[in-house]
Amino acid sequence: MSLSTLTKPWEAMSYGFLDGSAKRELRRKMLKSVAVPGCQMPYASREVPMARGWGTGGLQVSLTLVNPQTRVKVIDQGADDSVNAASIRRFIARVAGTPTTMDTLEADLIQSRHRIPEEVLRDDQVLVLQVPNPEPLRPVQPNMSIARQMHADADYGRMWLQLYEQIVRSGRVMQGASYPSLVHGRHVMTPSPIPRWDVPKLHMAKHLTILSAGREKRIFAVPPYTRVEPLVFSDVPYKVEDHGNLTCTRSGTTGFFMNEIPQDDSSSAFEVSDSEWGVKTIRAREGEGESRGETWYKDGEMPQ
Amino acid sequence: MLSVPAPSPAEMRDNAAFDALLWSLSRPGRPRDLPEPGESGIITALLDRECLVYADDPLLMPQIMRTGATLSDIEKADHVFLGAMGTSDPLADIAIGTDFYPDDGATVIIRAKIGSGPALRLTGPGVDGILTLHMGGLPEGFWKARTARLRYPMGFDLFFVDGARVVGIPRSTTVEEA
Repeated sequence: MSLSTLTKPWEAMSYGFLDGSAKRELRRKMLKSVAVPGCQMPYASREVPMARGWGTGGLQVSLTLVNPQTRVKVIDQGADDSVNAASIRRFIARVAGTPTTMDTLEADLIQSRHRIPEEVLRDDQVLVLQVPNPEPLRPVQPNMSIARQMHADADYGRMWLQLYEQIVRSGRVMQGASYPSLVHGRHVMTPSPIPRWDVPKLHMAKHLTILSAGREKRIFAVPPYTRVEPLVFSDVPYKVEDHGNLTCTRSGTTGFFMNEIPQDDSSSAFEVSDSEWGVKTIRAREGEGESRGETWYKDGEMPQ
Repeated sequence: MLSVPAPSPAEMRDNAAFDALLWSLSRPGRPRDLPEPGESGIITALLDRECLVYADDPLLMPQIMRTGATLSDIEKADHVFLGAMGTSDPLADIAIGTDFYPDDGATVIIRAKIGSGPALRLTGPGVDGILTLHMGGLPEGFWKARTARLRYPMGFDLFFVDGARVVGIPRSTTVEEA
């Protein structure tokens, strides 16, 4: 053994910003989170040049997975061009030299804040979701040590009680985003604040989903072909947002998750939330060729 | 303006090795190619000073020591390299984590023959329906010993290495001998 075998050449910056030990720790935790779907695994969550709570968890996973051939797409609430998405995409490209794309079908790795794209993801794609609050039990049990015990015991009675109380008080389940879901029949997870519309896309999907909370230092995953069942009572079916009949005012596409835009006359206009889907629809309408892939929802309905 | 850092060959190998591990553990029973034959890619991609490692195969020792990992007893190890197994006894001692921290269950790397040998029926997350896998080179009673240890979500996760091919079997997979 010589000194040269114990060191490596000097680098101005590690490839992909994170140093080797950060990447190895994330790799070990990613394997464990895949092995126990939906179970929150603690990890160190290193510093990245971005404030915690702005997607640092997702960013660390992306930086660990990328190589110079990985085509990266980043979305924020469905849009590729919002500030958070644009700056994360630029950062990954700058520190890892990855090609970037806005097209869901072209991407190898999709980092997303709070939406799953409308086009069906393939088995060679990885979806990385940014998670602000990974603990579904927090509204019913703020003490995280006790919450961990409840996960260990699969003691989810209070989650059901919370849903029951919402139905009694309001006549319906009021949980809009981060709808608690049972993964592989064992762990309740929060699917990150994706709308109810997106939760069925995780059920028995072909792609791997990794959910990472940088501020809370926890990581969990949904492997392909894994049951993800929203918590519902058998007589109160799960309902997605009523967006199946809405039409986007800019692209004219119908049957997808929409952003509601208030108008001066107190009415609402709607705009498709998955911005690239809207762009592709407009391109097809203007005769630039069909680039749209298969979608999860068909005619505003999720096929069972 | 910073120039884009270029990945070193070691970085690319670790990245490709982990890609194979993550892909194969997400899709139990479907082989994937490691960048180079044997356990070396797995060792450099996963192990460092924070790991407790048990290795049955003395040939792997130098490389494991180079990562800075601490050698430990099999009961405490978070990464267990069993090489080609003669008996399934070691499975009885591998760490399975706790109910509170299932991630303390070990990652186990074993040499086996993928694609020949007894048929196994796999079901569980990552398997679309039922998958039949042929795997040889394992000791008698291996799968029974595994089933006896698993208390989902507690358990250990298996990687089988055959040359450059790797198959992952996480604790969530139900394995039946056909």
